Amino acid sequence: MSIKRGKFIRLTLSYLILLVAIAIVLYPILWVIGSSLNPGTSLTSSSIIPKNATIIHYKELFEKTPYVTWYWNTVKISVSTMVLAVIFIGLTGYAFSRYRFLGRKNGLLLFLVLQMVPQFVAVLALYILASLVGLLDSHFGLILVYVGGLIPMNTWLAKGYFDTIPKELDESARIDGAGHFRIFWQIILPLAKPILAVIALFSFITPFADFILASTLLQSDETKTLAVGLFSLVSNEYENAFTIFAAGSVLIAIPIGLLFLSFQRYFVSGLTAGGTKG
Amino acid sequence: MHLYIPNIRVVLERGQAYIMEALAQNKKHRKTATILSIIPGLGQLYNRQKLKGVLFLLLAVSYFVVFSDLLNIGLWGFFTLGTELPRDHSIFLLVEGIIAFIVIAIGIGFYLFNLIDAFKNGRKRDEGFALNSIKEQYHSVIDKGFPYLLVGPGFFLLIFVVVLPILFMLFLAFTNYDLYHSPPAKLVDWVGIENFTDIFTLEIWRDTFFSVFAWTIVWTFTATTLQIAIGIFLAVILNQKDLKFKGFIRTLLILPWAVPAFVSILVFAGMFNDSFGAINNDILAFFGIGPIPWLTDPMWTKVAVIFIQTWLGFPFVMAMTTGVLQSIPEELYEAATVDGATIMQKFKSITFPVIMAATAPILITQYTFNFNNFNVIYLFNEGKPAVSGQSAGGTDILISWIYSLTLKSAQYSKAAAITVLLSLIIIVVALINFRRTKAFKDEGM
Amino acid sequence: MKKFSAVLLTTTLALGALSACGPKDSGSSSTGDSDKKPEKLVVWEDKDKSAGLKPAVESFEKKYGVKVEFKEMPLLDQQEKLRLQGKTGNSADVITSPHDRVGPLVTEGLIEPINVSDDVKKMYTESSIKALTFKGKLYGLPKSTETPVFIYNKKYMKKAPATFDDVYKFSKGDKGGAQYGFLANWTDFYFASGVVNGFGGYVFKDSDGTLDPKDVGLATKGSVDGLTFISKWYKEGLFPTGIIGKKGGQTIDGLFGEKKVASVMNGPWSFKGYKDAGVDLGIAPMPKLPNGQEVKTFVGVKGWNVSAYSTHKKWAQKLVEWITNKENSKIRFEKTQEIPPVNDLIKDPVITKDEGAKAVAIQSQHGIPMPNIPEMAEVWDPGANALQLVATGKQEPQKALEDAKKSIDENIQAKHSGK
Repeated sequence: MSIKRGKFIRLTLSYLILLVAIAIVLYPILWVIGSSLNPGTSLTSSSIIPKNATIIHYKELFEKTPYVTWYWNTVKISVSTMVLAVIFIGLTGYAFSRYRFLGRKNGLLLFLVLQMVPQFVAVLALYILASLVGLLDSHFGLILVYVGGLIPMNTWLAKGYFDTIPKELDESARIDGAGHFRIFWQIILPLAKPILAVIALFSFITPFADFILASTLLQSDETKTLAVGLFSLVSNEYENAFTIFAAGSVLIAIPIGLLFLSFQRYFVSGLTAGGTKG
Repeated sequence: MHLYIPNIRVVLERGQAYIMEALAQNKKHRKTATILSIIPGLGQLYNRQKLKGVLFLLLAVSYFVVFSDLLNIGLWGFFTLGTELPRDHSIFLLVEGIIAFIVIAIGIGFYLFNLIDAFKNGRKRDEGFALNSIKEQYHSVIDKGFPYLLVGPGFFLLIFVVVLPILFMLFLAFTNYDLYHSPPAKLVDWVGIENFTDIFTLEIWRDTFFSVFAWTIVWTFTATTLQIAIGIFLAVILNQKDLKFKGFIRTLLILPWAVPAFVSILVFAGMFNDSFGAINNDILAFFGIGPIPWLTDPMWTKVAVIFIQTWLGFPFVMAMTTGVLQSIPEELYEAATVDGATIMQKFKSITFPVIMAATAPILITQYTFNFNNFNVIYLFNEGKPAVSGQSAGGTDILISWIYSLTLKSAQYSKAAAITVLLSLIIIVVALINFRRTKAFKDEGM
Repeated sequence: MKKFSAVLLTTTLALGALSACGPKDSGSSSTGDSDKKPEKLVVWEDKDKSAGLKPAVESFEKKYGVKVEFKEMPLLDQQEKLRLQGKTGNSADVITSPHDRVGPLVTEGLIEPINVSDDVKKMYTESSIKALTFKGKLYGLPKSTETPVFIYNKKYMKKAPATFDDVYKFSKGDKGGAQYGFLANWTDFYFASGVVNGFGGYVFKDSDGTLDPKDVGLATKGSVDGLTFISKWYKEGLFPTGIIGKKGGQTIDGLFGEKKVASVMNGPWSFKGYKDAGVDLGIAPMPKLPNGQEVKTFVGVKGWNVSAYSTHKKWAQKLVEWITNKENSKIRFEKTQEIPPVNDLIKDPVITKDEGAKAVAIQSQHGIPMPNIPEMAEVWDPGANALQLVATGKQEPQKALEDAKKSIDENIQAKHSGK
């Protein structure tokens, strides 16, 4: 009886806490949606439930700005960044987790240290490097920069996860005659799906959120990404386009939100399926 | 193959040992092979490894053919930073110089490997062993080189995209690149540690530095600890087996992560507006609380930025912790339940240690991230509100302060110098903490 | 052990440094300037303003047979882009910049002086030519001029008040039915400077057109009076504290667009947005200050400059002259509403009949050119801080301004001692 009651209290409390958390999380997001439907142009008139809701800002977005181009550019960059980053990070993370090689420890330390250095001034160097190798104003150059920047932090994430996959699995496979690459490909990778999903998401979001690197390396209007374009809508202090900005943001958040949703099962599926029990 | 990437010092020492040994003991083959390999490949040819020898020789020749121009201009540019206007652009030369150094490092690595390889195979011959056939060589490369094969591409990218810019900044800190020393009007020069001494001798910067530094520390600790605590807390709650709609709730809670941060921050800036924001006018008014000066009172602005960062940051911690929680075997908890442990006890003795073991290094990076979290501070209120008697705003952290102080007036070299100092502080502190984490102790570091 | 590696490294480096003898040619040919007719010229135009440039470019192409490419880029990004992109060889021959950037641009050597006859110079207002002059040389030709004016909603205000006393009374009174009588972003030094200057304060001492960065006049009595006047509006609740900082301007725009405000102080760039929002717009020069002086707003002149990286500077200058001639300036005004400081045009009915343009033209004569020396970069932030502290009642004008002056002086000393 008391166990049942304890469970009831625990679950009720849990739901309450989660409800509050959801409210706090959702409020600003709903507010952005509200703003995007608001007939005015600025923050002041925005509210969560707009009077005279209108979709005019969405129309303006497509008519007045090259939103579709920005969107297409960003998706292209994001997908490529994601694919490349998952490959690179999967490989490095695996190497750091499974092999003991000269330079491994220093490499790991280096990865940690690198991401702590503020990149303000460093961006200049990236610009010059890009211009020297002819990758200025090219999406490919930007993708490489994103992938490179993602490596340190995510390699640690991946390594940590690979570490939790029992080594006995590799060893028994090796005894069965599997090569290095087969062990990685057929045994480890399937088990590492959840972390690869997280890394994929991380990489996918990066181009959507960055406007500093993108605005430095990309120059023409045709190559711009969403973040750069949208940021220019609100960064100009003499211009007022907050509601259009909000509309643009909503359209960014929807696909990313959906992506999170579809990756959910990887977060949830966990490791048990890997048969590592015992 | 496996010796030339990471630690130059170890490689050099090893190479030296081999060479010393070769010279001292007058062992014919190893000596001849090593000496011949002063021109890469000859030693290998001497060792009758034809394919390898030719390959090495080709590599060496093409190295010089391909890179001679870059090395020439790069090194010259690095040391002089240009001699003639408008032909030379010091900053471009500096970058080319750094690239030249990277290429040289790779070259030296290859060269040492070539020497060591010649010596090793020479020794094998001296000791009467058969040399590896091409097929065996291939296998040995695959076996020993596999981790390097895996790390190589990523590391290569990292060198150019991350390491090079950081080196650039480091060197820039020792130049005088600013508005008044900027090509094409003027060339940039090396000035030694002038920028660093300037930072400490200028009254206005020194005075403000400490108050900004204090707030940077407070900000880093409160904001990060809060986002970690809430992230773990929610992950644990969501991980209860008998909870319904887990997936749905988790998706909702992860949403702040899905919205680009700069969008959220700008939206918050609007919502927190003293006179017109939704927080004062809708939420607080609903609870009957009077308006709070979110943007004009330093204390309240601090509260607001900490809240915003928590909002932005907890989903990541939550997602990461969820992954870890799912890897904890259910049996552990069942056993604890049988032993009569309470929820809190289970958390303290099972959940928390596991989370920390798995994620401590990443969590520490959350601290370092916030230490340099320019976006939240600057986009929310530009580091303001103004505070009487100091040049920094009430929420300015070091990084945003440097930005306002230097980059707005193109003081690149000073910005670089302060950034270098800042990085040193954070790296030292972080490394000390990293070494304490279990993840590190397991590595035996 | 260590010795060996050290020797190896040093020899390699020394060898490298020795063999590195640098580029062989002196390079004058590679970046050289040429008088020859170029195949094309590249122009960077301000964001959303290329409609005003297009006709001029087309006629130039037709007349001289030189292709002109133009690209929009936010005004304030152009200096930064030119700084690096210039070297890569794919930057513009002609850029546009606000005149307060002229000092920094020249200091960095990014733009070239322009050699035009006095007849050409006389086409433009004296103050606009002065604004584009730095250390005695002219660095471009004026494209447009702008300065904040008094903008009101005719629904609440029948006609523009003549003095700020009237505005004050109006704001204190029924506000014509609006929620706010008058709003201005006076925590932004750009907008507040008009008041400060009007009360006799100054940023840099102007002696015969040369600004003295060593004489910062922000703590003078005039400046203090200016801030005292400004603080009144906040203290008495006429300005809400929510309009603060750079985003304050956007907030004001929003409120005015929603017809909650009877009048605002803003620049000509805002006219179109207000009209689009459906406000029955009235535009006038700023009302007089209580001391009988005009509000001496900062006047900004946007100019066309020839890039130092251009390989066809002569032709680039020819293009600048072409797009700023009377005819093309007129077209620019019609297409973009930007007001060209061309003497003949200011008297032209096109402008005199346009309420907004007329107000800006008159107010420009009241105002003073925004300082164009690089030291100005150090003024905005401390200035804004002082204003904010006064507006939120945290400090008295005198003290706030003394702090600001100290901060400005020290930063100028630290960063602009011109080593």
